[in-house]
Amino acid sequence: MKSLLGLYLDPNDAANAMDGLKEGGFEVGTFDVLTGTPYPEGAFGEHVPQHRLFRFPAFGAIIGFSLSLFLTTATQLAYPLITGGKPILSIFAMLIIMYEMTMLSAVIFSVIGIIFESRLPNIAPGVYDPRITEGYIGVVISVEDSDLNKAKKILEKSGSEEIKEA
Amino acid sequence: MQQRDNENRLSQEYTNSVLLNGTLQTPKWWPYLVSILGFFVVIGFVLFGIQIKYGLGVTGLNRPIYWGLYITTFVFWVGISHAGIMISAILRLTQAEWRRPVTRAAEILTIFSLATALVFPLIHAGRTWRIVYWLIPYDASRGIWPNIRSPLFMDPIAISTYLTGSTLFLFVALLPDLAVLRDRTTGFRKGFYTILALGWRGNPRQWKMQVVGGILLSALMLPIFVSVHSIVSWDFAVTTAVEGWHSTIFAPYFVIGAVHSGVSAVVTMMALMRWGWGWNEFIRPEHFDALARLLTVVATAWLGFTFLELLFALYGLDAPEIALREMQIFQYPWNMLFLTFLLTGYILPVPMWIFKRIRTNIALMFWSSILVNIGMWLERFLIIVPGLARRTPFVFTWEAYSPSWFEWYILFWSFCWVTLLMLIFSRVFPLVPLFEQKESEVFSDDIKIGRATVPTIFREEEE
Amino acid sequence: MSTNEEHFHWPPSDPKVVKEELISSTKRGGGFIKKSIWVLSLLSILGIVGLLGKLFLESNDQTQWGYIAAILAFILSTASGAPMVAVAPLIAKANWARPISRIAHIIGVVGIVNIIIMIPLLWVLPPLVVEGARRRSIWFEAPNYSPHFWDTLSLIMLAIVGVALLYSSALPDFATIRDNSSGTKKRIAGFLARGFVGSTVQWSTLRMRIGMMSTFYFFTLIFVHTLISIDLSLSMVPGWRDAIYPMAHAMGGIQGGIASVIIVAWIVRKYFGYENYITINQFWALGRLMFAASLMWIYFFYSAFIVFWYGRSMSDTAWLDLLIRGPMMYVFILGMLFSFIFPWWWLIWNKVRNSVNGPFYGAILAILGVFFERVRLYVPAWSVDPSLIHDKWLKVIPKTLFPDIWDILVLVGAVSSVFLIVMIVSRIVPFIGVWEIQQFNLLAKPVKYIKAHGVRVAKPD
Repeated sequence: MKSLLGLYLDPNDAANAMDGLKEGGFEVGTFDVLTGTPYPEGAFGEHVPQHRLFRFPAFGAIIGFSLSLFLTTATQLAYPLITGGKPILSIFAMLIIMYEMTMLSAVIFSVIGIIFESRLPNIAPGVYDPRITEGYIGVVISVEDSDLNKAKKILEKSGSEEIKEA
Repeated sequence: MQQRDNENRLSQEYTNSVLLNGTLQTPKWWPYLVSILGFFVVIGFVLFGIQIKYGLGVTGLNRPIYWGLYITTFVFWVGISHAGIMISAILRLTQAEWRRPVTRAAEILTIFSLATALVFPLIHAGRTWRIVYWLIPYDASRGIWPNIRSPLFMDPIAISTYLTGSTLFLFVALLPDLAVLRDRTTGFRKGFYTILALGWRGNPRQWKMQVVGGILLSALMLPIFVSVHSIVSWDFAVTTAVEGWHSTIFAPYFVIGAVHSGVSAVVTMMALMRWGWGWNEFIRPEHFDALARLLTVVATAWLGFTFLELLFALYGLDAPEIALREMQIFQYPWNMLFLTFLLTGYILPVPMWIFKRIRTNIALMFWSSILVNIGMWLERFLIIVPGLARRTPFVFTWEAYSPSWFEWYILFWSFCWVTLLMLIFSRVFPLVPLFEQKESEVFSDDIKIGRATVPTIFREEEE
Repeated sequence: MSTNEEHFHWPPSDPKVVKEELISSTKRGGGFIKKSIWVLSLLSILGIVGLLGKLFLESNDQTQWGYIAAILAFILSTASGAPMVAVAPLIAKANWARPISRIAHIIGVVGIVNIIIMIPLLWVLPPLVVEGARRRSIWFEAPNYSPHFWDTLSLIMLAIVGVALLYSSALPDFATIRDNSSGTKKRIAGFLARGFVGSTVQWSTLRMRIGMMSTFYFFTLIFVHTLISIDLSLSMVPGWRDAIYPMAHAMGGIQGGIASVIIVAWIVRKYFGYENYITINQFWALGRLMFAASLMWIYFFYSAFIVFWYGRSMSDTAWLDLLIRGPMMYVFILGMLFSFIFPWWWLIWNKVRNSVNGPFYGAILAILGVFFERVRLYVPAWSVDPSLIHDKWLKVIPKTLFPDIWDILVLVGAVSSVFLIVMIVSRIVPFIGVWEIQQFNLLAKPVKYIKAHGVRVAKPD
């Protein structure tokens, strides 16, 4: 198994390379495009990734809500002292704290979700070139050794500046 | 160096090299400024130590005014912290392109000003360590639990929620830029950025998460943003004991005032960023123009709320409240403060912003935004202190409060402290988000309609 | 420019087609529209009968008039709020609003309905000085009948600015109709177009005029909400001191305005087949606004509520007793459900917002919510015994007041007359601005970016 990285200056060339790889019979998902900035979704004809990000905040909100309900209720019942003429279980004061904790937990879980759905942290990032953060567009593909030359040719044909192998 | 590519746009290489000039190199003025600020900050810590040793007697706080400069400054910094989410969340959700160069700086300002705000109740409390008993629910042998009915308890909960959320928000948006830094450093720094960048590569999945996640976090942070200053305002508003505090308008009034002062602080900072790092191509007069227009709307709304607040103070026709307002507005020295507050908060800066020539003049925008924040600080002072001075008609002293030099220095310290933190941040992380800048270069283009050249932006088809 | 119209609904690119399709709304649908105009006119007359009946039979008892004031506030908070949907995106230079901004302007001309309902209220609204003592109000030392005078005047001003706003925005379309029709319509349109030919000067004046009128409408609306909410409810209750109330009232008005634009846009799209003009994008954006408005509603409500709940003074408790757990408790619960909980929980889902019917149902929920809210605020306020007005706080909480037959007639009449006015205006003003769409097409085009589909939007400054 090898990884190839073709570097392109022109986004159109990169898009052609992606097309070439698709036509060359490489499986969708084995090749990908690396950019230094977000491009419109599907600009390179790439596989548009699916995600389940929105489940994370929902889950977080439920956890935060339950936890805060427990905490606010428990602290008031644990020390039942009437202050300010308010009932022991003051729902309208509890609501404020419950709201904050629910939102906090939703945010924390969203961030976990964003990192998880970005498939980070990525301990073995594979073949890469620092010029990608400089405006070059990289097309990466992992191939069996037997297909290596075929893939290389496709990347070259579409006008890559350089091809790296790892 | 290739500055602009064939379509007259900034190349990514150029963007990197200019916007990282404060991170990869050290600006000449940086060490001097940091040392000076560091000196003032250290003195502040020493004074705080002295205050702990000798107690709150070193301040001017006395009956009946127990909340003075410290709490005013606390509210002020919480207000400044509303810059970040206003700029990055609201403007992201409304797809305002001009937000791009400012988001990062505004978010950092949020984080550091909030952290500073949190320090003030600690300083104010006198016996700082005791705050632990009030806030942390743990099963101590005395069996006392925090009183969640107290707004003073809700306050830290809201602020720490906002602080945590903003920090995480900042981190997520920082990931692509950390990868840029990782690719451009060596040695120890490279190791540091490599760990923080979490192995970012820039594939479509990661970018999609940046975009979708950014919108999701904006939508989640926005309600928190509104709640924070509302809860701070309820510290005051839910009490009936102080004339002039018990008003239903306080929550939105504080929030809109916070946006007014926060966005003005962003303007101040943008001007400083232009002057300090020379990012003239990225932070352009049109950004000041857009912010000034936003500020005009915000400031006018805020003035409307101020008017309603005063109107309903008099509406009740209660003698003590009228007396309080008379003191606040007409009696020396409060009348001078009130006049300054009105002048600097609205009357001077906002009419200036009507003119495009002024809106695009960086120096004038800088000074007018500073005026706003003087006014907004005074606003908080005028709400808190006169209210307490006339707290009850039967108090045995109505003596006005004069802050001691201790308190003034701590106020000064807070500005040094926030600036110092920002400067240190700027040496480690870029103050202008690189990828937002690059994204805007990719998505924007100039087209011709007839003979006119019009800037355009590419919008992805709504799903 | 490569278009990909098959990808999503988009206005036709040919200006001629746009013009003909859009002007047709002023001509088409003869029989049905004529019948509806007749029915609506009848119902509107019934409303006037209701007002007159109420005036002759119950004008000596102000406690019976809460529902009429609530209906006034309801129309003010829905139809009159609609132009705000066109104003806010104008300031933000949001292109998406162009296809629906005309609808918003058309709904805004119903200000006359507010004035008609206000007239009988002038007889029953108590003067500032009752039994020799002046009650608390925002008219501290002003003449005795200041609320009567200024409230009416502000309503008249709102109605005039509403008409002026519609007129400014429709001016180029009158010229288009003048050039594309015959007979009476040509004469009317020609008169209204006032020689508009589309010169550079005329366009720039027009843009300025629309901008000014929009700003002016916004300020007038806020002003009217402030006056009406204070004079027609807050100051009728002793001890009700609530600084956020005018703004919360205005916020409810904007929520109702968005809802009414969604409802009318949905009907227009369906009836005239404007699927290519009013697309899912408009509903999606409006759905988001509605969602934000429902959050704002609960925010303003809670800001006031928590202060009263914590306050525990006699006047604070009286507020809770009168407006929350008092005579209108069930209406309050309905208002809470329909203004906040239902629209919020419905519109929180992107799938719902990102559809045509989703925001429409949300809008119906919200508009009901606005109605319950107004009933909950105005009816108890008017039910307060007039002899208690000089107290420091409300000591006797009034009983629940149910609507009588006249109230129902007025409600039916008011709502019908709103639709009636919209239909009559639409005979001469196209529901979708022809020039707005032409400009929309100039400024935004479906394009391909390498391989991605999207829209390129111009942002002229």
